[in-house]
Amino acid sequence: MKVSSIFLVARTVWLEAVRRRDIYAIVMIACLLFAVVMSLDFFQLEGLNKFYREFALKFMSTATAITVIVLSARQLPREFETRTIYPLMARPLSRFEFLLGKLLGVWFTSLFCFALFMVVFLFGMLYLRADLQWGIFLQYLYLQALMMGILAALGFVLSLLCNIDAAIAFASLLFFLGSTMASMVNMIYTLSTPAIKWILIVLTWLTPQLFLFDLSEKTVHSDIWSPIPASVIGSLSLYALLFISVYFSITLLLFRRKAL
Amino acid sequence: MSKSLPSTVLIDVKDLEAGYGKGKHRTQALKGISFQVRSGECVGFIGANGAGKSTTLKILMGFRFPDAGEVTVFGCPAGEPESRARIGYLPEVALYYPFMKAGELLALYGGLGGLSKSELKDLIPDILKKVGLAGKENELLKSFSKGMQQRLGIAQSLITEPELLIYDELSSGLDPLGRHDLRELLNDLKKQGCTIFFSSHELGEVESLCDRVIMIHQGHLLRDAPLNDLLEECGDRSLETFYIQTLRQEAKAGE
Repeated sequence: MKVSSIFLVARTVWLEAVRRRDIYAIVMIACLLFAVVMSLDFFQLEGLNKFYREFALKFMSTATAITVIVLSARQLPREFETRTIYPLMARPLSRFEFLLGKLLGVWFTSLFCFALFMVVFLFGMLYLRADLQWGIFLQYLYLQALMMGILAALGFVLSLLCNIDAAIAFASLLFFLGSTMASMVNMIYTLSTPAIKWILIVLTWLTPQLFLFDLSEKTVHSDIWSPIPASVIGSLSLYALLFISVYFSITLLLFRRKAL
Repeated sequence: MSKSLPSTVLIDVKDLEAGYGKGKHRTQALKGISFQVRSGECVGFIGANGAGKSTTLKILMGFRFPDAGEVTVFGCPAGEPESRARIGYLPEVALYYPFMKAGELLALYGGLGGLSKSELKDLIPDILKKVGLAGKENELLKSFSKGMQQRLGIAQSLITEPELLIYDELSSGLDPLGRHDLRELLNDLKKQGCTIFFSSHELGEVESLCDRVIMIHQGHLLRDAPLNDLLEECGDRSLETFYIQTLRQEAKAGE
C-alpha cells in the first residue's frame, strides 16, 4: 500500500470540492442565516444564545451531512461517466488505494467544510458573548466527524449498488429519518411476534443509528448536561469504525472486479 | 526512455476471450485471439468499429477481465500495478479533471507513477513543450479544447518515461498539424527504443509508423504480419487497400 498514492487521490477530491465552490456557497448561506438569527430581538439575551446555538448546530450538522452524502455518492459514478478513471487507473495504483484515497478525500473535505462552519459559529458566539461548555462541545465535534465518516462510506457503497440520485436519496433518508425510524422500531418491537422482533433487531444492527452521534441538544443545554463518559465515546468510536470498515469492504468487493 | 532487453516479449496474449452483457444478451467481443508484442517494436492494431480493439487494450491495462485465455504484460498478469508502472496509456476518449491546471494534472499522474516533486518540477514544462502546450501549466483544463486535451493526454502518457506505450485511437481529436507533431514525437520515441502498440482508424498513420500490423475482425485475429508483407500482398499499394480487400473477402466468406 502506497500512502503517497492514497494522499494524491484524496487531494484530488479536496481540490475539486474547493475549486467547485459548492462549499463556499453553503458557508455563505450559513453566515447569512446566522446573521439573521442574531438580529432577532424578541428573545431575552439568554434565550437568543440558546436559540442561536440550537439553530446553528443543527444547520451545520445538516449542511455538512448533505455535503458529504453528495460528495461521496458522486465520486465513483462521475469517474466512470467522464472516463477520468482511465488515465488514473493506468498508473501503478491498486483499486484498494484508489477507493481509500477517495473515501479519505471525501472525509477530509467534509471536515474542512465543518471547520469553516465552526469558524462562523464561534464568531457568532463571540458576538453574542455567549458561554460555551468546551468539553461537551468538543465531544459534539468529534462525534460529528465520526458520523461524516459513516455517511461517506455509505455514499460510496450506495453509489455502486444504485445510481447517484438513488444513493443520495437513500443516504439522506437514513440521516433525516434515522431517529424517527428508531423510535418507530422501539414502539413496534414490544408489539411484535418473535420472528418480526428478529427482523427488527437485524435491521437495527444493519443500519447505522446516526442520531447516536448528535450531541447538539446536549451542547445547547450544556448548563444542565455534563460531558458524556469516555467509555461511551470509545464505544461510539468502535461502532463508527465498524460501519466504516464494513461499508468500505463491501465497496471494495463490488469495485474489485468491476469492468471500467 | 529506458530500453528493454532486445526482443523481450512485453505483451503476450494467448487465446483471449471476452464479452459484454449477461445471459441472452451476451455479446462475445473477443473469440480467442493470440499475439505478442516484443520490445522495440511499433505495432498497429487495426479493425473495424466493434472488432474488439478497445476491449483488448482495456484488458491489457486491467480495466476489464478476460473470460478465458492468458494475458501478460512485462511478464506479470495484465493490470498488475508493477506492469502499469512501465506503461504509458492513452484512452480512446478521456476527459481530464476540468478543475485542475495542466501542471497539477501531470504532477498527479507523475506522482502516482512514483516521481518526486523535484523531478516533476523540471519534467512538466519539458513534456508540455514536447506536445505543443508550452507555457500552459497554469491554465485550468476546463478552458482546453478537444485537441489540447488530446495533447495533454499524450503528455500524461509520457510523464513517467515508460518503456511501453499503449494508445487507443492514437490521433483522435487532433488537427493535421497535431497529427504531424505526434508522428514525429512517436518516431523519436521509437528511435530511442520505446515499444509502441496502438489502435487507429487512420491507416496512413499506421503505415507511416508501424513495423508490424495486427488486424482483428469481429473478435477474431485476421492477420499478424510485418507491414511490408501486407503491402506486398495487395500489390504494394497501401494499407488501406489491403484493409478493404481483406474485409471484403471476409464478408464474402461469411455469406
